[in-house]
Amino acid sequence: MAINLNRPRRLPLVLLLSGLGAGACLGNAPVPNGACVSHADSIDCTTDGASAASLDLVAYSCTGTARPDDSPTYIDGVPQGLVCANQGSVASDGTQGYCCSLAITSCAYNPIAICDADTYGYQCRGADRPEALNAAIHCNQGVTEDDLINYCCSGVQRELGCVQSDSLGCSPRLMGWTCPAGNEPTAQDLGANKSHADLYSQLCPVPSPAANPNYTTFCCYTPGLVPVGGTCVQNMGVPGCQSGRFGFSCYGPDTPEMDFAPRMHCPDPGFPGVSAEGYPATLYCCDFQ
Amino acid sequence: MVSRARLSVFLGAFSLLGAAGCGANDEMPAIDYVCGTASPIESSGGAACGANDPNLPPEPTFPTDVCQTLTATRSSPTEDDPNDALDTARIQAALSACKGRAIRLTSDGPNDVFLAGHLEVNGVTLWVDAGTTLYASRNPDLYQKTGNCGALGINDSGACSDFITLSGAGPGIVGDGVIDGQGGEPLVGRDYSWWQSSYALREIDGSIGNPTLINTATGTTGLLLYRITLHNSPKFHVKITSSPADGTCTVPGEGFTVWGVTVLTPSRWTNSRGELLTPSFARNTDGIDPGANSIATCGVMACNTISTGDDHIAIKGGHWVSDVIIAHNHFGTGHGMSIGSETYGSYTSPDGVQHRGVEKVSVYDLTIDADSRPVGSEATASDFNGIRVKSDESRGGLVTNITYRDICMRDMTNAILVSTAYNPLFAGTLYPDFRMLTFQNIRHVTCMGVQRPAVTLEGFNAARHLGPVTLDNVMVDNLGPLDVAAEFSDITLGPGDVNFFPAGPGVTVTDNRVGGSTPRACVFPPLPAPDVPPDWLR
Repeated sequence: MAINLNRPRRLPLVLLLSGLGAGACLGNAPVPNGACVSHADSIDCTTDGASAASLDLVAYSCTGTARPDDSPTYIDGVPQGLVCANQGSVASDGTQGYCCSLAITSCAYNPIAICDADTYGYQCRGADRPEALNAAIHCNQGVTEDDLINYCCSGVQRELGCVQSDSLGCSPRLMGWTCPAGNEPTAQDLGANKSHADLYSQLCPVPSPAANPNYTTFCCYTPGLVPVGGTCVQNMGVPGCQSGRFGFSCYGPDTPEMDFAPRMHCPDPGFPGVSAEGYPATLYCCDFQ
Repeated sequence: MVSRARLSVFLGAFSLLGAAGCGANDEMPAIDYVCGTASPIESSGGAACGANDPNLPPEPTFPTDVCQTLTATRSSPTEDDPNDALDTARIQAALSACKGRAIRLTSDGPNDVFLAGHLEVNGVTLWVDAGTTLYASRNPDLYQKTGNCGALGINDSGACSDFITLSGAGPGIVGDGVIDGQGGEPLVGRDYSWWQSSYALREIDGSIGNPTLINTATGTTGLLLYRITLHNSPKFHVKITSSPADGTCTVPGEGFTVWGVTVLTPSRWTNSRGELLTPSFARNTDGIDPGANSIATCGVMACNTISTGDDHIAIKGGHWVSDVIIAHNHFGTGHGMSIGSETYGSYTSPDGVQHRGVEKVSVYDLTIDADSRPVGSEATASDFNGIRVKSDESRGGLVTNITYRDICMRDMTNAILVSTAYNPLFAGTLYPDFRMLTFQNIRHVTCMGVQRPAVTLEGFNAARHLGPVTLDNVMVDNLGPLDVAAEFSDITLGPGDVNFFPAGPGVTVTDNRVGGSTPRACVFPPLPAPDVPPDWLR
């Protein structure tokens, strides 16, 4: 199977083990308080015009921090659990609504997954993404972990992604992108003529403003192979790093110039800071050349 | 690692695993198949390929209006002299001067080689004569676009220009000669080949920017490839973007015609340094890809033979592909007769009609033979694909009115694969919308394969079903009950027999089988393969 290393977001192994890798060690997760009940009356799980029954979806309402899918199991390493799309608050007391798969699936809710706000994690096995198991859910790019794939999901439809733009005046070696503000280009945004082998890992700079203030632009670099053990990852939040320059967080002694030679040039020494993922790192601001 | 067929065509006749292995339905008639091959004449009944097919236009012919004839001055593609100007300039000058006509490359005794860098074939026909080979230069500097062309393992698919770019009205490449991309040979000034550079990205499934052997520019009309032999492309062999000049498909082939073309890659067992060359080593060497750059409509792909390291034919629906006939073709090693993975295309024609994805494709009289030659120790299951329709939510769209008829496959791992979650890692909102797919008179046989074949029919989810899919006289030998995977699909069986019964979540089956149909009689012609080096065991 094709594997996307998702290199710009790669974390050191030790961090992965304490984060994503904990899917099989859910005993570390906070114990939910509250309870869930099947609640077909007030929660509409209709999706794309199809009824909840035809989609094998079941509505739940949950109090406290309880979720219908918060008791997954692993049998011989295979996740087993419900896949639920959150529907937001359905009562004034904060009761949350969910539309869940009727049957147990090969995905397990992962309460300690590293996901953006408003999304939550599943760990799945096999070719079925969570969307295949629950038509009401939307998930982002999967990240492989041995035989399993980690997803961050939500019951809310994502915004449209970035569009490749050839008219931005990027260097011939860089790929131009226009994105809704707050977004950055990802592999799935690539358009035509990208066969299964075209799994890109891109490095993108600090975004530049577009004419429309609701959008930003990028000139992104497609690097070659990073040396084994390379620890530098993209960080668009390096203090003082201006639009169009490339920010990095390095967890080890290596530098962006070492990991992304010969194109990346970092004129100033690194300085201690915090990576975009929230871990101590050495920060760099570099230029593509 | 997959261990597969040996080099020589398997001539020993023995009865197959046959009905004993087809445990999905005990009422099916016994399946008899005798392994081996038949001559092309025997398999075609003696008539010229495609001659009696009412769906096809007449076979193309060679040009009668030859503007210039160029004679070879080389006997080998040696490229060691940095002052060698190659043949690029004189070929390009002739091409540029002969628009609307043809230029012919021909041999002169032992001088039978042309060697060139990037060429533009704009509204002209390039004719490579029998016994003549046009080699692509191995010098990456002649194809440089981004600075990464020829750089080892750089994930930049736009790094190089094409070897040949077709454009304009009615461009063509014809002839009984050869165009050789030299993908397995060391690059000038480097210690590695195009394929080795690509292979360095295999672990991350990355995409090298190697030159496409023959590409077409957007806006091309009436493209013709006829009888030419293509070898050893650094990456894709042919990418087709071509439609009828008036945008209307009144006669099949008005948009593009690929007839009698041979793709054989690698064409040798070893390169000039003695390094082994195998199909699985030649990554991303798709045979022919309609729709790769822009729309491709009203096409005929007939009587071709393709054996390569990636998809034999891959219809790319990133724009719009429609009205394509793929008939009387024979495939050897490769990744299959594919549609996708891009199927999200949308195109508004001048009359204001919006078209989407891939539609109205008819594939018939096709053989796909995994046993035609060994694939290599690097091979994976994907090296043994038959029919594939694939996409995922990052690149999905409409695929409909697709017919596969009269098809024989041998020793595939994936005999039929329809997958809307081709890569489960990819996220997006471009959901695959696979509708009318018909499989009729399909037969898969087992001779030397060590893996059981699989059939996969998978829609996206409960809200986005695959179908309607019709399976009519579809027989997959040596298929076990667990070798059929189906979900979220609406499937009709019959009226001909089908020796498996798809089942799974969200699967509805309408069983119209009446029984008594005869499995398609399969004959596999011997396919072109490299000669075995003299000191090798046979």
